[in-house]
Amino acid sequence: MSQDETGHQLEDWQESVAAARLEKSPQSVMEMIPYADFIGAQVKIENDQLLYWLDKRPTNIGNPSLPALHGGVIGGFLELSAAIEVIYNLDIAAVPKVVDFSLDYLRAGRYKTVYAKCNVLRQGKKLINVTASAWQDDENTPIATARCHFLI
Amino acid sequence: MAFDMTMALFRPALKYAMEKNGHGKTLGLKMTEINRGEINLVFPYKEEVIGNPLTGVIHGGVIVSLLDTACGSAAMTVLTTPAVAPTMDLRLDYMHPAEPNKPIYVEAKVYRQTSNVIFCRGLAWQEDKENPIAHCVANFMKVDSTSINFSAIAVTQLRRLMPWGKSADSAKEEGK
Repeated sequence: MSQDETGHQLEDWQESVAAARLEKSPQSVMEMIPYADFIGAQVKIENDQLLYWLDKRPTNIGNPSLPALHGGVIGGFLELSAAIEVIYNLDIAAVPKVVDFSLDYLRAGRYKTVYAKCNVLRQGKKLINVTASAWQDDENTPIATARCHFLI
Repeated sequence: MAFDMTMALFRPALKYAMEKNGHGKTLGLKMTEINRGEINLVFPYKEEVIGNPLTGVIHGGVIVSLLDTACGSAAMTVLTTPAVAPTMDLRLDYMHPAEPNKPIYVEAKVYRQTSNVIFCRGLAWQEDKENPIAHCVANFMKVDSTSINFSAIAVTQLRRLMPWGKSADSAKEEGK
């Protein structure tokens, strides 16, 4: 891909993100990322905060006998949520690059909808620290928490 | 190496469970090597899992799934008594982005185990194993399966097989 072409695409990307912010539609940002559709992640604004969710679908099952959600899907969902939080809420030019990701599994993810919320703890010039928490029945009993560093 | 009967039986079962079910099947991963305490798998590039539409680089979440599957399976291979090994935590370092249109190779190894915990390391690379795209450490709990209610699981499974079962809607989804 030529430098020029990449520049063009980046401009398109920035325009789309700006349009999504204007329309208050984080879901439009989500839809720009193919992986979101692959696992079925969605997002909406609730009480001025982004609320992410993942409806149950058979392709996200890890242990078929329980059935339980795939741990990797929960991780991927939280990493994706953290990325959307950064792209939608913070004014940065490019797609943030994830440097590291740490995930604690607290409870088994049952075969039902998972919700998540993120929190940007620090935004530096180069590094952003975001935490994410996933739950099913009650926000106060999370099934997993994650922490993610992004480079910009 | 002496012939390991348990592994000979366990190998096809694990391969089937990981490749032909749920998210493993959706990803299209293939387990290439299954030995006690060591797993190798390969993932072909897929456009559906792109995370950065500008570069075509796949989303980090896929690497999480691959390493979690590999480490979790490696942990399972070292269990000697009826038990399960749920993930406690997983930490991933991304060294550099995965190049588009190239398969990703993953290796996971159990490097230590105690009476309660299994410690694993995982590596993901494309062309050069010495220049990995990601590295991870993951710890697993050993949970005695005598405390698990297998009959309840069997009932759930049976119900899922029945067309009039509770999850007929999910069967429909699977069929489409």
